[in-house]
Amino acid sequence: MTRKLLVSYMTLGYPDEKSFIEFVKGADELGTDIFELGFPPSFAKYDGPAIRRSYEDVLGKYGDFFSLIRKARDVTDKKIIILTYLEDFVDNLDEFLERLKESGATGVLFPDLLIDFSSDYKVYINKIAGHGLDPTLFTSPSVPDRLIAEVAPLSRPFLYYGVRPTTGVILPISVDALVKRVRSFVKNKLILGFGLNNEDDLRRALESGADGVAIGTAYIESFENGGLTQALETVKRMRSILDEYS
Amino acid sequence: MELSEVLPKYWYNIVPDLPRPLPPPRDPKGAEFSRIELLNKIMPKEVLRQQFTTERFVKIPEDVRDRYLQIGRPTPLMRAKRLEEYLDTPAKIYFKFEGATPTGSHKINTAIPQAYFAYEEGVDHVVTETGAGQWGTAVALAASMYGLRSTIFMVKVSYEHKPMRRVIMQLYGGQVYPSPSDKTNFGRKILSENPSNTGSLGIAMSEAIEYALEHGYRYLVGSVLDVVLLHQSVIGLEAMNQFSAIGEEPDVLVGCVGGGSNFAGFTYPFIGAKIGSRYIAVGSAEVPKFSKGEYRYDFPDTAGLLPMVKMLTLGKDYVPPSIYAGGLRYHGVAPTLSLLLEDKVVEWREYSEREIFEAAKIFAETQGIVPAPESAHAIKAVIDLAREAKKNKERITIAFNLSGHGLLDLTNYQDMMVRYS
Repeated sequence: MTRKLLVSYMTLGYPDEKSFIEFVKGADELGTDIFELGFPPSFAKYDGPAIRRSYEDVLGKYGDFFSLIRKARDVTDKKIIILTYLEDFVDNLDEFLERLKESGATGVLFPDLLIDFSSDYKVYINKIAGHGLDPTLFTSPSVPDRLIAEVAPLSRPFLYYGVRPTTGVILPISVDALVKRVRSFVKNKLILGFGLNNEDDLRRALESGADGVAIGTAYIESFENGGLTQALETVKRMRSILDEYS
Repeated sequence: MELSEVLPKYWYNIVPDLPRPLPPPRDPKGAEFSRIELLNKIMPKEVLRQQFTTERFVKIPEDVRDRYLQIGRPTPLMRAKRLEEYLDTPAKIYFKFEGATPTGSHKINTAIPQAYFAYEEGVDHVVTETGAGQWGTAVALAASMYGLRSTIFMVKVSYEHKPMRRVIMQLYGGQVYPSPSDKTNFGRKILSENPSNTGSLGIAMSEAIEYALEHGYRYLVGSVLDVVLLHQSVIGLEAMNQFSAIGEEPDVLVGCVGGGSNFAGFTYPFIGAKIGSRYIAVGSAEVPKFSKGEYRYDFPDTAGLLPMVKMLTLGKDYVPPSIYAGGLRYHGVAPTLSLLLEDKVVEWREYSEREIFEAAKIFAETQGIVPAPESAHAIKAVIDLAREAKKNKERITIAFNLSGHGLLDLTNYQDMMVRYS
């Protein structure tokens, strides 16, 4: 069986610079395959309470988030996808993408791209690719099948599928039915996220054909409850569940 | 074809077939708590799961199908021949008669499954709000069918002017409170600001949700949310079977819009199957959400306890004028329908009360059915379409949803007769 991918999310600079860097370093060693780093937006509209708290926490602390990407780059060789909202950068997108590239990011994921900019999404994908970055696309159950099938081949290094309407909030959903349905027409790597810190759902996602999962809220909450040690424990636990299916 | 074969085995969900992604529900900026998370405490689990489903077809539980049959589903699809003759139109006019259910409107179609899922979960008490009274009546009946208790917050102006609606709810075992009430913090706050506030659907909804949260009951939702539209698809799916049994296909489909559930329930299966070429949503000119509403994120309820959704809205604090079609006074339009209106898949029309009164009268005189004032909006559009067809010599087939009868709106009609005759 192929290795199931662990995509680890962390808000840039959370909870402080030292712990953030230690987390990236540790999460890399513990088996993270790809990093997703959150660049604080003015309004994290599709994120749940934990990730919103982490953004609020870091917003006043740093003048420059690009240097944090660079510092993360120094401690990991894995791909770094920057997660933020297009609406904040749409007016100076070229400059933003260029700076991401220079800072060592390998890709960018805008959760609002297909929802709020759906008629022009190809223009933005081309722009991202034009700057030498991977466009990682975010889809969800409210994205029509036709559109998911259309965008999937454009998404690199995987297609992100958020199973719930917001991050970290557990609402009852049929993960297996959702995954099987998307799996039937998505050929590239399929990574699931949004509220998958619950182990049952995570297992069902993997059993139903997901290539991996993105974990974020669980790390933030671990940081809140038990600091860096607990956050890294969570990485270890997630990796071991993934390994059962690898 | 057996009646039970006309009744579908699955509900239809349009979300996977929309022209573009449906903007997800979200928490407001700077939220002190997550409304999305709060849904877990408000709605029955299975209802919530269906709210966020991506499946195109969702199985109707056997028990719910049985109850559908018991309340007289499938409802008749009838041809309005006398109306066609009266209008001297080459168009054929069909209507699906949802007024044939015991509660007199389409609302029972979602009240039954929601009560069933609450019952299955072990909940013994459900709460809701009602404006004109149709939804509250449906919840009171559905709750009693499953041995649940029901509490209904009824917009005060209707509570006072529609005592017969209140009596039906009470006959079904419902506890009915006028809203704003002194039963909730929100109601008390509204009353302290203005003791003579006559209420609104948004306020009653906020009271019902607060009351359910406070007591650990479950809240049943009457319109707007995707799950309600899903359940209402039984109307359109039945109609498709009925049309195919008589070898016809409608060209134009019409329905009135309060929150959007009867319109969506009737038309979405046809839109999904690409049957028909025009879909027309009809609203009230006095509550002009199609012409004046903005497509943006807003709260479905006045207190802002539910997550924000992107919809056509006049604003959650909008105070509607006191028109007789109480079911059309709501400030917003269901998110999927808003998107389809934005993308011009669905057209809209708005009519004034005077216009719909005339249409209701024509329909009553020709077909014998007194329509609900809400449904009379659809009838007005159908009459206009049939007249246009005559002018253009088009042999089109028009179908509309007669979402409810108006036999409990006779006081309103009496007033309208005085006002407009």
